[in-house]
Amino acid sequence: MENGKNKELFKEKAEAIQTLVSSAATPEVIAAYTVDLTADQGGKTIALAGFDEETLAALLPDLKEKAKAKGIEVLEPPFRPHLENIHTGLTPALWGIAQTGTLVLRSADENLRIATMLAETHVCVLDPATIYPSTDELAPLLDAAIKENGAAYMAFITGPSRTADIERVLSIGVHGPEFLHILFKEEKADD
Amino acid sequence: MIKTPQNMKDYTDQIRATLKEKFLQTTLNNFATSYKASRAKAFSGMDLEALREEIACAKDAALPRLEELLEEFTRHAEADGVKVHFAKTAQEANAIIAAIAKENNVKTIVKSKSMTAEETFLNDHLEKQGLKVTETDLGEWIIQLRHEGPSHMVMPAIHLSRYQVGDLFTGVSGEEQDPENIDKLVKVARKQLRPRFIEADMGISGANFAMADSGAIGIVTNEGNARLTTTLPRVHVTLAGVDKLIPDIKTALTALKGLTRNATGQGITSYVTWIKGQPPCGASEKEVQTRHIVFLDNGRLALAKDPVFSEVLRCIRCGACANVCPIYRILGGHTYGHVYIGAIGLILTFFYHGRDNARAIVKNCLNCQSCKVVCPAKIDLPYLIKKVYREVMDEDGKRPLRNRLLARVMGNRKLFHTLLKNAWMAQAPIADGPKIRHLPTIFGRKHDFRTIPVLAKHPLRDQWSSFKPVVRNPKLKVALFAGCAQDFIYPQQAKDAVTLLASYGVDVDLPMDQTCCGLPLLMMAENETAKEVAEQNLKALDTDRYDYILTLCASCGSHIKENYPKLLQKENAVPEGVKKLEEKIIDFSSFMVNVLKVTADDFRVSGKKVAYHAPCHLCRGLDVVEEPRELMRVAGLDYVPAADEDVCCGFSGSYSVDFPEVSEQLLRRKVANMEATGADIVVTDCPGCVMQISGGMDKHASRMRVCHMAEILREMRKKE
Repeated sequence: MENGKNKELFKEKAEAIQTLVSSAATPEVIAAYTVDLTADQGGKTIALAGFDEETLAALLPDLKEKAKAKGIEVLEPPFRPHLENIHTGLTPALWGIAQTGTLVLRSADENLRIATMLAETHVCVLDPATIYPSTDELAPLLDAAIKENGAAYMAFITGPSRTADIERVLSIGVHGPEFLHILFKEEKADD
Repeated sequence: MIKTPQNMKDYTDQIRATLKEKFLQTTLNNFATSYKASRAKAFSGMDLEALREEIACAKDAALPRLEELLEEFTRHAEADGVKVHFAKTAQEANAIIAAIAKENNVKTIVKSKSMTAEETFLNDHLEKQGLKVTETDLGEWIIQLRHEGPSHMVMPAIHLSRYQVGDLFTGVSGEEQDPENIDKLVKVARKQLRPRFIEADMGISGANFAMADSGAIGIVTNEGNARLTTTLPRVHVTLAGVDKLIPDIKTALTALKGLTRNATGQGITSYVTWIKGQPPCGASEKEVQTRHIVFLDNGRLALAKDPVFSEVLRCIRCGACANVCPIYRILGGHTYGHVYIGAIGLILTFFYHGRDNARAIVKNCLNCQSCKVVCPAKIDLPYLIKKVYREVMDEDGKRPLRNRLLARVMGNRKLFHTLLKNAWMAQAPIADGPKIRHLPTIFGRKHDFRTIPVLAKHPLRDQWSSFKPVVRNPKLKVALFAGCAQDFIYPQQAKDAVTLLASYGVDVDLPMDQTCCGLPLLMMAENETAKEVAEQNLKALDTDRYDYILTLCASCGSHIKENYPKLLQKENAVPEGVKKLEEKIIDFSSFMVNVLKVTADDFRVSGKKVAYHAPCHLCRGLDVVEEPRELMRVAGLDYVPAADEDVCCGFSGSYSVDFPEVSEQLLRRKVANMEATGADIVVTDCPGCVMQISGGMDKHASRMRVCHMAEILREMRKKE
């Protein structure tokens, strides 16, 4: 109930800042959505990073097959050699923040950073169960994540890259992705 | 590259030149209007006052502990392989960063926006070492290409038009650019800067937050350039003021809530990045990024310990003090600051870039309080600007003659009042009825943008004993603090108020030992005399004898309420007598609405169309917003809201004498906004505003009448 409210608010806030949000994404839907979107935009590559083993096993073979059918390459990490030819970055988010429609990505993995920074389009998968109302509720989790041993690179992403530096006119896609698509992961009906 | 006038003559020349830049004024005017709306929207549904208090308290708690926080931060960061440096001066910071570049064999550098790097002129230093530095924030890149400083902390190129950027980008890209297509211009930056990111050996960023308990930094951006700057190069250097140190992420998240909403009206920016330790980096042989953090002191640690000025370090660099400043709106940042611009810039320039650069610009403040009420960290900017003004004068070792005369005269009430009375005689030859239409030529034509009222032949205090109405069995006893303007220029305003109040059974006294409230002294940074007159008034206004101390002058009221406790505090405590005065002082509209609770039955229904000018010191100084509007409605007036009702009319006492060109602009806009309402009368709550606006109406041959609320209320009151 409470989480349904967070999900609704997240969607509303994200859509208000040039982000497209879709629901009920299974691995098949994620693969099809990403490939179709890339093809529609004339993109030739997809860089995928950050998924856990289980999701990857369900997602990757399907993604590769669908991509191949449309002449799109699913890039193999590391992505450093591909800095100038990543069209779509496909990643999961760790958490969401409803109040601002913000994605939180655990980004220490350099490949994930490259996929989300240099792509023209970023497709991000978010589990609605991990959406928190505001940064107040998220603060202890974020604190713990930053303080984990070793390096941390936590990224809040809210909408596509933007600027208003010329005559204060809003313009999308200056250095980062021009398009941000969020896919809500299919919710398990086990309760 | 940045040249800031160091004396008033050069500064006046710069202001005159700036006033001819029409694009600048149009764009800043549009910005001021849209900013107000987007900020309000961003904070809607939030307890903004509680948030401001929280941010101010959190920063205040951190400031005395900066050295401790630095040590804690260093311990954590270095445990994670990040080298932390401390630079005492700007030159030291630049030298440290150049040395890091050298030891890592760096040739090319990309930078994301850092005001601290602007402060140290880092690019100049690195370029002299033969390094190739590219700014990557779009606005910063534009001004780097133009060899300019930023004209706004958040929007560095706000002063430029699409045509100027179009021409610039045509040159950079070697392809003709269409200036009307801003999206395409932005893509020029994307295309041109991508290779710079990819080839860069080193990235330099700023930091919005440095969290001591983890050694992590936080960076707030919109474009995504800071993410690239901190990811692609094999070396990442962060340059941050030591005041960016805070205890933990909770403090950062609190400040973040205020920062983005106040800066750009965004709930949050596109990207907020938290980095700790050495993230993996494929460009580095070590496979992790080499990271350095340089903390800049440049006077901050001393400032943090200063009892008066430490609060400037609460600043979180949102830039809002410029966004709402009526002077910034006319002049833009290049004429209103040095590296740091706007209200905070007037102060920081003195501390970070020296008194020569602060000398002229620090005088350019109306004390209109717009910045103070918008500041997310509750910094009392106008008060501190005056304090800096004084510091500059003290360090220069010379107070202008005008200051010394003012202090001597105002310190002695009898002398001051005698001089004012004699002045009535002196002005007789130049007066034209109740106005002075043209000042003698020695004042120069630049002051001729308004008429000035003549002093009253008989000041209020001389008429008082014969005028004072008799009130039998009074409901309330009130002391009137008349202020100089009503005592010596507009006694009729005060008399109308007193007559009106008598009809409600309020007995008003005029304590004769009262003198100027002292605001003009504070405006000229004559703090000692300001304190003396405050003490005289405290004594004269015997608070125990009265239910309220009424003032019809918003400026006097707000000065007494806000500044007396600061001026008269002893050993960091406000004396009881001052607290009582603070509690009892009340403005006319609030007194009518909240104390007397006047009703529509008391007034005739005239349906007269009136416009309202909200005096700075009423709507912000005393935070009285609804009462005057309510009072006009109750009094049967047809109140028509005007654009920018709460923007300063440009009077501000001696300001309009020092900066007549700016004052004229503000007045011109005020007159136009008032006339656009189609009303017949301008009502306001401050004799200073009456003086300025009616002076402007005269010059513009307007048919609008300007009056004090008390005057129109008395006219509307039903006869007994």
